Formats: sequence, structure tokens, C-alpha cells
Amino acid sequence: MKISHLIFLGFFLILIMFSIATYINYKQTEKVNENSDWFANSTTVMRQGNRFQRNILNMVSGLKGYLLSGEDYFMQSYDSALTENKKILDELQTIVPDTSEQKRALHELIGLNDQWILDYADPLIRARKAAGLSDSSLAAYNALYRDKVVLGTEKIINRNLQQRFREFTDYEYRLREARSQVLTDSIAQTRTISFYLTTFSIILGFLISLFLAYRISTRLMAMVRMADTIASGKYEVQTADTGRDELSQLANSLNHMAHVLSENIRLLERKNQELDQFAHIVSHDLKAPLRGIDNVITWIEEDHSTELPPKIREYIQLIKGRLQRAESMIRGILLYARVGKQSPEREFINLNTLLQDIAESLVIRPGIKLEIQPGLPDIHSEKIPLQQVLSNLIGNAIKYHDKTEGYVRVYLKDATDHFIFFVEDNGPGISRNYHSKIFAIFQTLEARDSFESTGIGLAIVKKILDDRKQKITLTSEPGKGSVFSFTWPK
Amino acid sequence: MDKVNVIKILLVEDDTLDVMDARRTLDRMDILYKMQVARNGEEALDFLNRSEAAKGDVPDIILLDLNMPKMNGTEFLATLRQKSQWKNIKVFVITTSDEKEDRDLMQKLGVSGYIVKPLKFNNPSSIDSFNLMIDLLNIKNKT
Repeated sequence: MKISHLIFLGFFLILIMFSIATYINYKQTEKVNENSDWFANSTTVMRQGNRFQRNILNMVSGLKGYLLSGEDYFMQSYDSALTENKKILDELQTIVPDTSEQKRALHELIGLNDQWILDYADPLIRARKAAGLSDSSLAAYNALYRDKVVLGTEKIINRNLQQRFREFTDYEYRLREARSQVLTDSIAQTRTISFYLTTFSIILGFLISLFLAYRISTRLMAMVRMADTIASGKYEVQTADTGRDELSQLANSLNHMAHVLSENIRLLERKNQELDQFAHIVSHDLKAPLRGIDNVITWIEEDHSTELPPKIREYIQLIKGRLQRAESMIRGILLYARVGKQSPEREFINLNTLLQDIAESLVIRPGIKLEIQPGLPDIHSEKIPLQQVLSNLIGNAIKYHDKTEGYVRVYLKDATDHFIFFVEDNGPGISRNYHSKIFAIFQTLEARDSFESTGIGLAIVKKILDDRKQKITLTSEPGKGSVFSFTWPK
Repeated sequence: MDKVNVIKILLVEDDTLDVMDARRTLDRMDILYKMQVARNGEEALDFLNRSEAAKGDVPDIILLDLNMPKMNGTEFLATLRQKSQWKNIKVFVITTSDEKEDRDLMQKLGVSGYIVKPLKFNNPSSIDSFNLMIDLLNIKNKT
């Protein structure tokens, strides 16, 4: 599976978990809202119910007051309570759901209320109103009063009414409790589900990222190790990655690259070897005919010099000069080819002794002073290549010096992780145009006839330094002398 | 009068100039010698076989060039060393190479000396080698 797909899948799973949690919470909120609506309704029902009950009492006391005193004042409170109760009952009918248990209770309540008014209150009020008009009507009222009030039918109806009403409100209370219990349970459940979903999402996310990090980093580290191995010069490395994702593709590309690199390097090494061998063989084979010519010339000189006209003797000298140059060039090629062939051997070198040895091996004409920095340190390094580099640079500085009085200075700077050697002279200096040219093989800045030089010295210096990844810098201008500085590993 | 001891030399060399060179050098040394020339390894082996068959003299010294056509010096040396009757012949290699590796290789192949060309009198190393060669043989002509 591709890593991008894996990441996508992981996030998708976590997203689904959170979506479910959010949906459940949303549903719960809806439920709570619905419940609070219902609760508001229920509160209205209770409030109106209580008012209804109070109104009944008002009606009873208003009726009794009127019946006893005949004052209209009592009728007013009776009437207002009656109108209000009608309204309350209408309202309750709309609020209370049709199918519920309460609806029936409400119908019974309305029935009892109507019964109380029609059978009891209305006849009594009518009779009481008429009682003042005639004696017969007063007698009728008294009879009715006894019948309705004293005998207690009214009380039965009223008690029923009260009883029904209590049932109605009790039912409402029970309903409230039940609903509140259900809501509490549902909230708790939602909490639990949300908690588990969230926890699970977090754990899943953590595991996925852990897995991805492990999978990516271990394999990346393997590739880093491989790249390091390549950088350290071992090109024949492969990294094993059997997956089928982007990192495996990268590993495959790296393997391919390492393979190509290793082949190219091998090819390059072979070519280099061939070139060295070639130089070796060519110079040896070239030596033979040159030697032959040299032999013949020598024999002529040794055996026949008295017979030769002066012109021929002069020509023979010219031939000998060219032969010498050809020989020194061949020696140069051999030297150049031999650079880097020796296995590097490190030893302790006293730099002052080394430079003294070099100075003694060189021909220094009078007037030129070779100044070597005193008290140079002992270093642990490859002696022969360092000697070759220094010897060639100092030798050049002396050989090409154009002043009657001049100097060549050799000094050292210690740059923490490497040394920098300086060979400075106040000779002719080198124009900037030639700074890069002089390190090429057989490149000389003097006419070949005018000067004994092969142009191999600096090429060897460059090759020795290149092989060791060291740098050489030339600071020089015509007439201002030259400073060659090169770095050397510690 | 002591018996005059003539040094018998077989020169294996393909280059006429080098043959002339060797002859000149030997001529200037204070010795009596008799020299045969073979142009390559094969000719040298032929010569050795023929002189053995004719009960002729086997050479005291072989001067051997390395770089030759048909059978080069190294191959010739390997063949020579396989025959026990020739094991007393001293072999000196004449070469242009004065590299240590080549010297070591020749030492391994059982050569008695190593002479660097050109064989000039003004080339001290070659004349020293020749003198060494003669001393080593200890057969310098007694007159």
C-alpha cells in the first residue's frame, strides 16, 4: 500500500470516528431541546391546572357568599373564575396530546365541571335570583338549597372534581419524572459513547502515526546509511526494500543509482589503470629507439670525432640536446604515471629536516636565498608525496627566479583541521591568464629551447594534491613574485 | 702459463643496436670472451639444444633482453629453469626499466643480476653491473 494512501486512510478513519461522535452529540442536543419544549408545555399544564383548581375554590366560595348574602359582588368573583376556567380548559385541550391518558382525565374533568355548573351552581343561582321576587320562589330556593347544599350532592361532585384533578396532575408529575430519567440516561449514554469514540480515535491516530513514523524512518535511515556508504567510496551497496510504496521506489532508484555509479566508477578505474599502464608501456617503448639513437651518436663521438667537420659536430650537439629533452619528458610521464601508485604510508616527519633535505638536493644559484621558517613542527603524514610537492614548488621558484638578488620563502600555517604550506618568491610572477594553465602536463611558459624544463613538475604537484582532495592556490602578478599555497591533511 | 679461460656468453637480444652496444662494452672490458647471439627466446633455446646435442660448450652466461618477439625473456627464463642440465648457467637480465617491481620479479625468477641499459661506459650503473657479473662468475680470464 502506498504511504500516501495509508495516511489518507488513517485520517479518513479518524474523521469517521469524530463524525459519528459529532452526529450522536447533535442527536442528543435535539433530544434535549425537544425535552425542554415538552417541559415548558408540562409547566403550562401544571400552572393552568393549579389555577383551575384555585378558580374552582373561588367559584365555590363566591357561590356560597352569594347564596348566603345575595350580594352581586360574590357573583362577580364567581363569574370571572368561571370564564377563566373555560379558557383554561380550552387551552389544556390544545396542549394535552390527543392520545394520552391525560386527555381522558381532562374530558372527565370537563364533564364534572360542566355537571357541577349545570346540575348545581346554575340552578342555585337562578333560584337565589328569583327568591327575592316571591315567597313561593323563596320557598323553592330554600328547598333547592337544602337539596343541593345541605344534602351534599354538591360535595360529591366537588370531591370528584378535586380527585380527578389530583390524578391529572399526578400523572403529569409521573410523566415528568419518567421523561427526566430517560433524558438523564440518554445524556450519560451519549457521554460514554463520545468518550469511547474520542479515545479510540486518539489511540488509532497515535498508532497510525507511530506505524508510519516507524515505517518511514527505519527505511529512510537504511537509505541514509546506504548513501553514507556510497559517499565513503563503497559503491557496491544495495538496500533491501521489498515494499511497494513510494519509499520502495526511492530505494529501487537508489539501488539503481548505486549500481550505475559502481559500474561507472569501475569503468573509470579501469580506464585510469589503462592510462597509467599505457603511459608506462609507451614511455618504455619510446625509450628503446631513443636509446638507439643515443648509442649511435655516442659511438660517432667516441670513435670518429676527429674525422668530423665542425658543422656536423654542432648538429650532433643539437641532436643530443633534443634527445635529452625527449628522455626527460619520458621520465616525466613515468613519474606522473607513478604518482598515486604507491600505497600511502604515514610516518613522523620533521618538516625542517625534510626542507633541509630538499634544499640540499636542489641547485641554488648564488644570490637566491632560500628562507625556511624555523621551528616547524613534526607532523605525522605521507612523506614522499609531501616531499615531491614541496621540492617541485621550491625547485620551480628557484629555477625561474629572474633577479640577481632574491628570495624563496617557505612557511606553514596551522588551520585547525589541516596545514597550509606557502612557497613564496619575489621572482618574475605569473600573469593571471596562465594561472590555470600551468598545472597542465607539459605546459611551460618559457620557450623550450631557452629553458631546461619539461612542464611536468606542477602537473605532478596537482595530481598528488588532487588524489588527496587538497587544494593549491596561486597568488601572483607579473613583476610581483608568486605565492603558491597548498593545503595538506593533518 | 695458466690456461686461458674464455668466457662463453649467449646474448639473447633482438635489437641490432643493442647487440652492437653489448659487444662494444664487452670489448672494452679486460676479458676474453666468445659471444653468440640469439634473436629471441626460441632461437636461444634452439642454440642451447643444438650445442648440447653436439656436445658443444654450454654458455657460462646468458645476457637476456626481456622485450623480444616470439618468445620474450620471461618465457625463455621459465623454460630454461625447467631443465636441470642448464641450471648452472648464470642469467643476467638487461633492461631499460630500473623500477623496483621489475627487479623484484626478476629476482624471483632466479636471475643472477640485473643490468640497466644503456650499456655505456659513461653509465656507471651498467658498467658496475658488468663488473659485478664478472666477479660473481669468478672466472675472469687468467692470463
